[in-house]
Amino acid sequence: MQLASVATPTRPTQQANERGGEPVKQPVDIFNPTEEHRHLRETARKFGESVLGPQASKRDLEESFDPGLFARFGSELGLFGLTVSADHGGVGLDSTAAVIVHEEFSRFDPATTLSYLAHEVLFVNNFYHSADAAQRDRYLDKVLSGEWIAGMAMTEPEAGTDVLGMRTTAQRKGDRYVMNGTKQFITNGPYGRVFLVYARTGPGRRDISSFVVESGFKGFSVGKKETKMGMRGSPTSCLVFEDMEVPEENRIGAEGGALVHMMRNLEIERLTLAAQSVGIALRCCEEMTRYATQQRKAFGKRLIEFGQIQQMVAESHAHTMAARALVYTVAQSISPGRRESLGAASAKLVATGVGERVARAAIQVFGGYGYLRDYPVERMLRDAILLSIGGGTNEAMQKNISGDLSDMYG
Amino acid sequence: MKVLVPLKRVADPDNANKVKVTADGKKVETTGLEWKPNPFDEYAVETALRLTEDGTKPKTRAGEVVVVTFGPKECEITLRAMLATGADRAIRVEAEDDQLDGWLVARALKKLVEQEKPDLVLLGKQAVDGDTNQVGQILAELLGWPMATSAAMIKEDGEALLVGREVDGGVINLKVRLPAVVTVDLRIVAPASVYSKLTKADFKYNEGVRFAPLPAIMQAKKKPMAVLKLADLATDTALRIQYPRFEPPKGRAAGKKVKDVAELVDKLKNEAKVL
Repeated sequence: MQLASVATPTRPTQQANERGGEPVKQPVDIFNPTEEHRHLRETARKFGESVLGPQASKRDLEESFDPGLFARFGSELGLFGLTVSADHGGVGLDSTAAVIVHEEFSRFDPATTLSYLAHEVLFVNNFYHSADAAQRDRYLDKVLSGEWIAGMAMTEPEAGTDVLGMRTTAQRKGDRYVMNGTKQFITNGPYGRVFLVYARTGPGRRDISSFVVESGFKGFSVGKKETKMGMRGSPTSCLVFEDMEVPEENRIGAEGGALVHMMRNLEIERLTLAAQSVGIALRCCEEMTRYATQQRKAFGKRLIEFGQIQQMVAESHAHTMAARALVYTVAQSISPGRRESLGAASAKLVATGVGERVARAAIQVFGGYGYLRDYPVERMLRDAILLSIGGGTNEAMQKNISGDLSDMYG
Repeated sequence: MKVLVPLKRVADPDNANKVKVTADGKKVETTGLEWKPNPFDEYAVETALRLTEDGTKPKTRAGEVVVVTFGPKECEITLRAMLATGADRAIRVEAEDDQLDGWLVARALKKLVEQEKPDLVLLGKQAVDGDTNQVGQILAELLGWPMATSAAMIKEDGEALLVGREVDGGVINLKVRLPAVVTVDLRIVAPASVYSKLTKADFKYNEGVRFAPLPAIMQAKKKPMAVLKLADLATDTALRIQYPRFEPPKGRAAGKKVKDVAELVDKLKNEAKVL
């Protein structure tokens, strides 16, 4: 289908040539700023289509996760450590590269992509930019190769958006910390060997520190695997810490310094989640357009000839293009040293809404078939809804956007 | 083993409906087309990589794969995609798409083979645009080398290759002495189709063409890419194949409905004349 080719806007040049005028200067391709980005997209799309896609529905139905498949992201594709410097075993690319991978994978399997995100963005990117040399030496190789699956633990049963309300504590005891508490909704929880965990190290509301916690630590346990509406191919559980001893050298950064790590990582998290929604929207646009133009007729006409169907197809296409352009534009201004909270929150708010609406429209265009598990669009809608909740709810995005605007105007 | 893989880009076969003919019918409009490597050529590169490695250690090269294409500067993106997939070196022969035909390309390749001295030239059995299926055969004839076409299996066997060709009713097995020219078919990228002398007989590849790993994508620009002039490889660049006119295929005509079997038989007999 043609939607993905908005990446190569060739039409203006062509028209100028036909009119006999000077060729129009090729516009900058924000979706593929360099040839490397283009090849990366090609690799991610091919892998998504030929490896992730064919089994995605099975993993969704069975609510199963395939660790062997996950390992291929590292061993075969080298897709862990996109934002890690090449000197430290990473790739040395940027936020746009991360967006490309999440978008392309999500066209075929948003759930496995979410597990990739938890490992690559929530753990690797955060850990790499916050850890010291010794900590990188101990953990980086294992997570870049995919030998160890990783995740991040912030949310608690009674503290989500209100992150500073977390209750997990890490009390200092000689050269170690004793950690107690429960972390909720942890992606990769049942399979993770290592987690970045936030815990309270003092009485103040902001006295929160970051730790690297291994699943082998005494006192670490994994709660039951959650049964979910969507993203079922991505394993989720709670993590329970009971008098778990964490060596001091596993504290990342200064005691009480976690808010810096949290904040520094937030934008790329939101952006890659938004990219997942764009991938879902692209796929649903393709599916509904193909169905309406090529496959289904009613009253002797193709579905696309009916005004009500046109409205759904056209609006889905236009909104997807808009969300995609916003996400890639914001990606250009987000790096570890450069923050753009207003842009990232806006991208997530817009893209997740578009992902849900476009998936819902696709089901409507498919009619009764859209409601069946035989077609991918109902899975896409169930997956899309998580993206309006996880990694900061859309209500939190509205609050942040309003806060940023209020600072700018106030 | 040193393998030379000639390849070309073609208009994306998944977007074939975008291919248009210019108003005067003189050529295919290439502006705005999305390009992909010819699928059979991708299979040839995959085959060449498999022949120059131990399947269990694909990151260690045990031979050399040189990819070559004829075309304008933007074809380098196709070559670099192959370098990212694992090819060692690339050559672009500067040319415009409409200055080439199979005869000219084969003669230029002969000259290049004399310079590069590969043990094997591997090609896709045909390109999916012109579908002429002739460059490999002409090249083998010009070189006076043994040839096997449409290979579905290749196994390295001392100084020769065992080549399996799928035909109606079975497989023809050929033993081809090196140096040789081999063209490959679709099933050459099945899990147990290609074995170098290093790859053990019980090893199975993943189905299909390998993915370009991201670290290799980042390194691709550092691999050598030579640019040659067509005139360096062929003194006579006149085309032997002339294309007087292009026409898009006619749209399919509407079918006819028949009342009963008798009418159907009558039409098959008297209109379609197939009975």
